[in-house]
Amino acid sequence: MNETALYIHIPFCDHKCIYCDFYSIITTDNISSYKEALIKEIDYYSSLYSEESYITSIYFGGGTPSLMEARYLYDIINHIKTKFHVAPAPEISMETNPGTVNKNKLKEFLRLGINRISIGVQSFDENELKFLTRIHDKKTAIATVFNALEVGFENISIDLIFNLPKQTKWTWRRNIEIATLLPINHISAYSLILERGTILNKMVLDGKVALQDEDYDADLYEITIKELEERGFQQYEVSNFAKPGFECLHNTAYWRYKNYIGFGTSAHSFMNDKRWWNYSSLKLYQARVAEKGMAEANYEIISPEESISEYIMLALRSYGIEISKMEKRFGKEWMEKNMNYLQILTDNNFIIVNNNWIKLTKKGYTICDEIISKFK
Amino acid sequence: MINIRNFCIIAHIDHGKSTIADCLLETTATVSFREAKAQLLDDLDLERERGITIKSHAIQMKYTAKDNLNYILNLIDTPGHVDFSYEVSRSLAACEGALLVVDAAQGVEAQTISNLYLAIEAGLEIIPVLNKIDLPSAEIDKVKGQIIDLIGCRDSDIILASAKTKIGIEEILEAVVTKIRPPGGDPDAPLQALIFDSKFDAFRGAVAFIRVVNGTLRTKDKIRFFAIDKEFEAEEIGILGLKKIKCDELAAGNVGYLIAGVRDVHDAKVGDTVTHKKDPADKPLPGYKDVKPMVYSGLYPTDAEKFEDLRDALEKFRLNDSALIYQPETSAALGFGFRCGFLGLLHMEIVQERLYREYNQSIITTLPNVEYHVHKKNGVDIIVDNPAEMPSVGDIDSVEEPYVKAQIVCPSEYVGNIMKLSMDKRGTYKNISYIDPTRADLQFEFPLAEIIFDYFDKLKSTTRGYASFDYEYIGYRESDLVKLDILLNNEPVDALSMIVHRDNSYVWGQKVSSKLKELIPRQMFEINIQAAIGTKVISKAVVKALRKNVLAKCYGGDISRKRKLLEKQKEGKKRMKQVGNVEIPQEAFLAVLQIDK
Repeated sequence: MNETALYIHIPFCDHKCIYCDFYSIITTDNISSYKEALIKEIDYYSSLYSEESYITSIYFGGGTPSLMEARYLYDIINHIKTKFHVAPAPEISMETNPGTVNKNKLKEFLRLGINRISIGVQSFDENELKFLTRIHDKKTAIATVFNALEVGFENISIDLIFNLPKQTKWTWRRNIEIATLLPINHISAYSLILERGTILNKMVLDGKVALQDEDYDADLYEITIKELEERGFQQYEVSNFAKPGFECLHNTAYWRYKNYIGFGTSAHSFMNDKRWWNYSSLKLYQARVAEKGMAEANYEIISPEESISEYIMLALRSYGIEISKMEKRFGKEWMEKNMNYLQILTDNNFIIVNNNWIKLTKKGYTICDEIISKFK
Repeated sequence: MINIRNFCIIAHIDHGKSTIADCLLETTATVSFREAKAQLLDDLDLERERGITIKSHAIQMKYTAKDNLNYILNLIDTPGHVDFSYEVSRSLAACEGALLVVDAAQGVEAQTISNLYLAIEAGLEIIPVLNKIDLPSAEIDKVKGQIIDLIGCRDSDIILASAKTKIGIEEILEAVVTKIRPPGGDPDAPLQALIFDSKFDAFRGAVAFIRVVNGTLRTKDKIRFFAIDKEFEAEEIGILGLKKIKCDELAAGNVGYLIAGVRDVHDAKVGDTVTHKKDPADKPLPGYKDVKPMVYSGLYPTDAEKFEDLRDALEKFRLNDSALIYQPETSAALGFGFRCGFLGLLHMEIVQERLYREYNQSIITTLPNVEYHVHKKNGVDIIVDNPAEMPSVGDIDSVEEPYVKAQIVCPSEYVGNIMKLSMDKRGTYKNISYIDPTRADLQFEFPLAEIIFDYFDKLKSTTRGYASFDYEYIGYRESDLVKLDILLNNEPVDALSMIVHRDNSYVWGQKVSSKLKELIPRQMFEINIQAAIGTKVISKAVVKALRKNVLAKCYGGDISRKRKLLEKQKEGKKRMKQVGNVEIPQEAFLAVLQIDK
């Protein structure tokens, strides 16, 4: 059996943030019928893949999964457990927005199976939070972290965004400082991405907002890595930092090129050499599931060449390439083809090669895409 | 022979040469209206787009004149652009008369004048035609005055026409019959036929378009081409209607085609004379020249592995374009490629564009340059057609470069701007005359190298498009020239070397290095750009190392998209050239052409 990660997309939100390009809907209609569809979709894929899959993690992403009743998620978890081989103590994560959960609700989530929460704090600066159109303020963000701790969560992560328009190095350092003073053990720190179709993108196109330049972004990123590592958060992926032992198992599965199945609107799945993705629209998703049990909008078969380039990309972005493992899976050709280039990267301190591992240095992380795009 | 008339049309671009030709063909019922495509004689797409006829052809019309006699009119199409002036001169040599078409709204332009002089030199009868008289902006009297001043004709000699509304077309045909003399020549004399154009047919070999000057050519005749001194058999001869029409003989005075099993189009040279193997003419017709390229540039495949593909494409291309020459060369920066010689800048652009469009070749072109005559201190003279091969400064005694005589016609208010631009371009002022009080005709001499950079573009912008320009080659002259090298991270990039006048070298060095800084994207390593003459660095610029290029998020739903993004990035890199550890985008090799834009 293969270790497999399960993702469940909960598309419902109480509002849309300006930078978000995830599929989400601002209505509470269909919440219950959506669950029926998820259950049906789980049935469909378990009949295809449960034999070969050993479920090590479940992840509720969104949208805002924390808007749901704890019971809602419990029914889904429970159904998964009856249909798939699930590890005895799987990591079950849920994305949470401050302001959508009080202490009682958090307690419920914990009691019904969620054991890791990822809180969408984004910033501790009131102006930045307003700019991002988040509904919470600094106080709520901090309170949510402490509430989670108090009800018994041991595995708490927060998301932060940097390189916001007008963000100074000082305000960013302050964000990091507050974050590291909190009782958390995981931080995802993202440089702002301008996604097509977002409100922010339009604001930039219309000239209402100016993005900061590459050099400033690089400065902030370097500050992030340095400050977080000094405070005990080890970088284990481009944007992810954890205290030892608190890396997110679920996301790590993506980066270690394991199989995953995604349920719900717009969710992606990857089994062996096939990747497919569901319809984004709630209406279409529900109609297709009702009709066929699944809602695949499209798929691709990953060719051997694509497969190795994905593998290399994901590995370098996170833990690094474990050479023997990589060669066992893809053969020796890649190392042979890239020997010269790897030497140049080593000589210039972009990567470190030792003991069977190729890893990016801090300097390497900052221009990771450039490095990867030059592999043969 | 008495009822044959051979003529051509000379005009500035867009003055209506092709539409007049179409009208003549329609009126003489040579083609039906439906057959008359927008521009009949121009059959290459690119030419149609640019509105220039490049490959000349001929077409025969039958016309019953007002005197009730039947005439055969051979219209010989001429290329209108200065790059092809030799071809123009051979087409003119096949005619006895020319229609001089002038746009009634635009007036006389530089090309009108230069082509007119060629026609007068060739002894042709000139029939002036004022076209587009139906335009609201037509200035009939004014332009008439310009024409009268130019050729010294009478007001009544000028035919008022509009190809669009068919005004004046009958008059033109009558003038062709009555004013142009019938061809001379003796059908019984030894054969002399002028090849004024040729094209390649994949099945038949070269098709030569000929004007029989003396003698008679019959099918199956054994023939000889003077210049290349080879013998063939006339497999098929004929006249040129809309399609080829076979016939048994072409006698002195007539125009037609000749297929003689000539496998290589380069054997059917424009300007060569065809004669019989038996009883040959004792000498060829005058005026033959071996066409020499004036402009050179390196052509390299973007993808080094596509070198053989580019060779194949050039070989095929050359079958139809006898003016293109090329030979393999190697550049340290660009790898294997070809040094190509072109008739001029337009010819170069056409070749590049057709290689891309029709032969699907992705190529990098280096900065165009001219051919230099270098006298070395050791007494050896060499010809340099690639700046990278210029000997080092210490070894050079003197350098000569080709000069041209340029003619610029423009509204008089722009004379000052043109003077300034031309001085900047190392031009020497020669003369100014006025076509009428508002139009000036300026003459300069320029180094050709200055013209091929960007003179024409600048001329257009400095005169808001009102100036027209033409030039002819006048010979080599000594100049104080130096080689400007560009170094990237201390490695000279041979494909970026250029030859410039010493006085301008500092300015060029600065401009090129700052332009390259703009065009070369930030990369993993810092890039030092230096411009140098010999070992002396005259200007520097730095492209800072890339600081950040990493997408923040890559989870389950991002992987496919992210992979595709990287693939795209990889494709983009393929279009760049790797020189040392620097990736150079294609545009950078033409950076100099973009300076000041």
